[in-house]
Amino acid sequence: MGRYAIKRILSAIPLLIVISFLIFMFIHMIPGDPARQIAGQDATKADVELVREQLGLNDPLLVQYGKYMKGLFTGDLGLSVKNGKTVVQTIIPRLKPTIMLTVCSMIWAVIIGVSLGIVSAVMQGRAFDYIAMLIAISGISLPGFWLGLELIQLFSVGLGWFPTGGLASWRAYVLPSLTEGAGIMAILARFTRSSMLETMREDYVRTARAKGLGEFLVVMRHAFKNSLIEIVTVGGLQVGGLLSGSVMAETVFSIPGVGRLLVDSINFRDYKVVQALLLFFALEYIIINLIVDLLYGVINPKVRYS
Amino acid sequence: MSDIDKNTSVNQFEDAEALPVQKSRRKEFVQKFLKRKTAVISLFFIVLLLLAAVSGSFVAPYDADQADYNSILQGPSSAHIWGTDEFGRDIFSRLLVGTRLSLASALSATIVGTALGIILGLIAGYYGGWIDSLIMRICDILFSFPDILLAIAIVAILGPGITNVIIAVAVFTVPSFARIIRSATISVKESLYVEVARSIGCKNWRILWIHVFPGTIQSVIVNFTMRVGTAILAASSLSFLGFGANVTQPDWGAMLSQGRNYLNTAPHIVLFPGILIFLTVLAFNLLGDGLRDTLDPRMN
Amino acid sequence: MKNYKKVISVLLAGTMMFSLAACGGKKDNNSSSANSSSQDASTAENGKVDKDGYIVKAKNTDSKSKDNDLVIAIEGSVSSMDPANIPDTNAISATRGVYENLVKFDENNEIAGQLAKDWEISDDSLTYTFHLNEGIKFHDGTDFDSEAVKANYDRVVDKNNDLRQRRTFIVTNDDGSEEPRVASVETPDPNTVMFKLTKPWSPFINRLTQFCIISPAALAQYGNDIMNHPVGTGPYTFVEWEEGDHTTLKRNDNYWGDKPGVDTVTIKEAPEAGTRTAMLQTGEADFVYPMPVDQIKAVEGTDDLSVKASDSNIMRYVTLNMDQPELKDLKVRKAMNLAIDKNAYVQLMYSGYGKPASSVVPESISGYVEQPAYKYDLNEAKALMKEAGYEDGFKLTLWGDNTTQEIKGMTFIKQQLQQIGIEVDVMPMEPATINDKIYVDKEESKINMWYVNWSASDFTMDGSLRSLLYSTMCPPVSANTAYYNNKDFDKDLDEGLSNADPEDQKKIYADAQERAWKDCPWLFLGNDQVIFAEKSYLSGVYVSPDGAFNFADAKLAQ
Repeated sequence: MGRYAIKRILSAIPLLIVISFLIFMFIHMIPGDPARQIAGQDATKADVELVREQLGLNDPLLVQYGKYMKGLFTGDLGLSVKNGKTVVQTIIPRLKPTIMLTVCSMIWAVIIGVSLGIVSAVMQGRAFDYIAMLIAISGISLPGFWLGLELIQLFSVGLGWFPTGGLASWRAYVLPSLTEGAGIMAILARFTRSSMLETMREDYVRTARAKGLGEFLVVMRHAFKNSLIEIVTVGGLQVGGLLSGSVMAETVFSIPGVGRLLVDSINFRDYKVVQALLLFFALEYIIINLIVDLLYGVINPKVRYS
Repeated sequence: MSDIDKNTSVNQFEDAEALPVQKSRRKEFVQKFLKRKTAVISLFFIVLLLLAAVSGSFVAPYDADQADYNSILQGPSSAHIWGTDEFGRDIFSRLLVGTRLSLASALSATIVGTALGIILGLIAGYYGGWIDSLIMRICDILFSFPDILLAIAIVAILGPGITNVIIAVAVFTVPSFARIIRSATISVKESLYVEVARSIGCKNWRILWIHVFPGTIQSVIVNFTMRVGTAILAASSLSFLGFGANVTQPDWGAMLSQGRNYLNTAPHIVLFPGILIFLTVLAFNLLGDGLRDTLDPRMN
Repeated sequence: MKNYKKVISVLLAGTMMFSLAACGGKKDNNSSSANSSSQDASTAENGKVDKDGYIVKAKNTDSKSKDNDLVIAIEGSVSSMDPANIPDTNAISATRGVYENLVKFDENNEIAGQLAKDWEISDDSLTYTFHLNEGIKFHDGTDFDSEAVKANYDRVVDKNNDLRQRRTFIVTNDDGSEEPRVASVETPDPNTVMFKLTKPWSPFINRLTQFCIISPAALAQYGNDIMNHPVGTGPYTFVEWEEGDHTTLKRNDNYWGDKPGVDTVTIKEAPEAGTRTAMLQTGEADFVYPMPVDQIKAVEGTDDLSVKASDSNIMRYVTLNMDQPELKDLKVRKAMNLAIDKNAYVQLMYSGYGKPASSVVPESISGYVEQPAYKYDLNEAKALMKEAGYEDGFKLTLWGDNTTQEIKGMTFIKQQLQQIGIEVDVMPMEPATINDKIYVDKEESKINMWYVNWSASDFTMDGSLRSLLYSTMCPPVSANTAYYNNKDFDKDLDEGLSNADPEDQKKIYADAQERAWKDCPWLFLGNDQVIFAEKSYLSGVYVSPDGAFNFADAKLAQ
């Protein structure tokens, strides 16, 4: 398995290069001129031209791309156009809040989501199943901002239990991670349930029951284990969607994360920052995919990659 | 399952207990389906929605665009059963008329995305090798682009408008279907009946379509129903970001987003579209579950 | 059986829903006209602001703050702490805590001295002599004197520093050549500094309100990294700036003027309106800006919260591309202005907290003269359209930002213009995309109407009009998207720039306003107010008309 992991990591490098190229082309295809944004409402054409020169926007695309690639390797990701700070300086302080929040959200979403799914499957058709279903559907269909703002009204303004924003204390994590994790929890619950329903009808489960194994062991060791692959797949897929969830949570709860930074930078056409962030997300996604694939191997030793 | 020849069984065992008569497959399906109450209710709800989509503009009590500046932000009342919005337009009428746009865009986006995803997933799973890698890498790339950015980019490049919103939402849908179908395909293709088909010389596409695909239907159905809900919400986020279809047209998602600042002062503006979306997503999911259970040979 | 019962009840519910709908009766459905309020806006509550500027006054005026730390929650972000490189008012507000200028706008929006105690302008309007206050020290202990002023000027105009403020002092022409506005800066003694201009330029003194003085010693040490280590003469010293989250300042106990009452000031970024309101309700914030009008009702219950309004210098309007065939005719443009109920606009968009536009610039700009209103009159409007030959109306596109507020405004315009047969296609876009489409050569321009707003940060008439209506300022040069071309108007603006005499200026700018108003290059909409909310235990914090908030005199009742 170790060799497999190394092979995957190595193959990720060309992938990253391709992605960085696509990101670059992509961003420059979007209409909108950052020079005008930066220069301001009352700038004249000449002023804007000056800004374009300073930003190197008048260089042919290929030259810009060359500088960009070179920068990637030397660690010089360029300057943010908003205030002249380097891209690295701009992004780094905002990574921690997002990562912490995302990890928190994932943890509770996975635990509750999967548990809900398992119990619903076992209690199919009973009241618990329907209630769990309703909760899960709410998680998908309720808009994030509504959930966040309602939580604030109830628990911050009304009861005073949690702050309205920031990440200053452990309390501050509760509401935003609830908001961000709700969608994932819902999807995991649904998928776990449907997957468990299938596996629980398989012959080997009936056999296990016939052998006299306790129901809990039957469910967990046999049915669940075989559902795990599908659950992990779906779980891995959701991580990509965590970003949009994070933007919403970061906006409503005033958290200085990279989600908000991405949206603001896109609006401002702060190319370099956007490129760096997208690369970061691509990297994050590749890593998670790798972990998921490795987990396949752990869960089901029969699945080996040559 | 093959039909047993009715005549022989009845004739031979006239005196014995009558054997259960084999009904036609369609009737069996319907009966089985009807047993699932929640699925049936959901079906009715969806039919109601479709009716609303078709007849909305004729049945609505007010013109969906009719503004009345003297009655803005009013809560539910006898004149306006679900209240009015910030321009004094009747919310019930707007939601009714908006059913067409909201459902149509969500459904088309999901259908297009699903179809593409299925095709890609089937091909990737069945052929394996470099085709598989290529398709999966493309999906990876699509995944690693945060969906907001993808949406903004697509709509910014192609321009605002309903078709482009559909394209944007369809694009999100493709990768997850492709992946799921691919894994389902991989597990199905090793099964016995596929091997048999291959050994008797069936063409690849026939195998794919007639033998492999039906085995993946259960995943497709459940995923599809979930994605419709997501599609409605995705369109709502796009409207919120300002990229929706014609912004002045009634659309559930747009109405939801536009009510954002009124949560404390006029909650009904967000409440009714929200409930409607919730019920719709619920209905599609329950329907999907019901269908899946009905098609499952192991369940009664 | 259970099944059927459920099925029937669902069917019944469904039919009930539809019959309710059908029986609800259809209102008059011909053209989706808006039943807008009458001219007096006597229906729906007006934006009531009492004489002290309160919309909602806290009942509990004895409340005490739990600490002596001021927290201000804002919507945008403080994007830079370098006063020479600032793109927005939040940054201006934050830097004003740490830095000061030669002159400033006082609470009545008049120019008053800050670091300079007084000044003289030579008769030829070319030499500005400032006499500086004495005994002022920077936060790092070094002295403030005329050399410091010169050092800052040199820094700003140095091309290598890439500072936005350079544009204030150096004009770049289309061909790339540059003309400095200031010929020289002289420092005859430590308390006197003289700016000699190359040409008379009346906005000069206004612009100096944005020219902050940084400690030259600090500049020498940090260069352009000064944004992370601000050192000024202001009432607060810098503690930290975490971009995207907060900016913190501390009271300067060695301040040369009246020291602020609070220990620290934290400017917290909270982009969601509902959250900002909640922060105020829980006490996490003491002052909130902006306060959206939609949330005002929500806070009426809290007894220690006040909501206040004050005038702004924001002008809201729709530019009409006068080169567009349908918009060429003055009658059409006038008709369009008559078809818009501006009272309804202010009511719908700002809950009444604002005024219908009464000139090309808001009241807060010096030189403002009230113009004869385009009273809401559909009959007259329709008659004019008929006269112009457009009885059947036509189609136009309306561009604007894709934020909820702007979309709301554009929807309103669409509803209003529908009344005279003009079908408007509302097209909200990202600001960057709009810029792309606007700043193109004339032949490629596709703009019809643009829903937009403008605020002149220097409060001058010239700053409010030149980029928008001067004939040579059409895109791609600048923002004259009405493609307005009136030589007499241009002449007025030019004269206003060169002639600094206040009496003459009044006459010149009155003439300019009249011309522009009569020509209807825009749909004149309104001027909304600046609305903010605060706890009743806070005093001394206010918002200027340009949207910058001031907290130099903040006090928290203990």
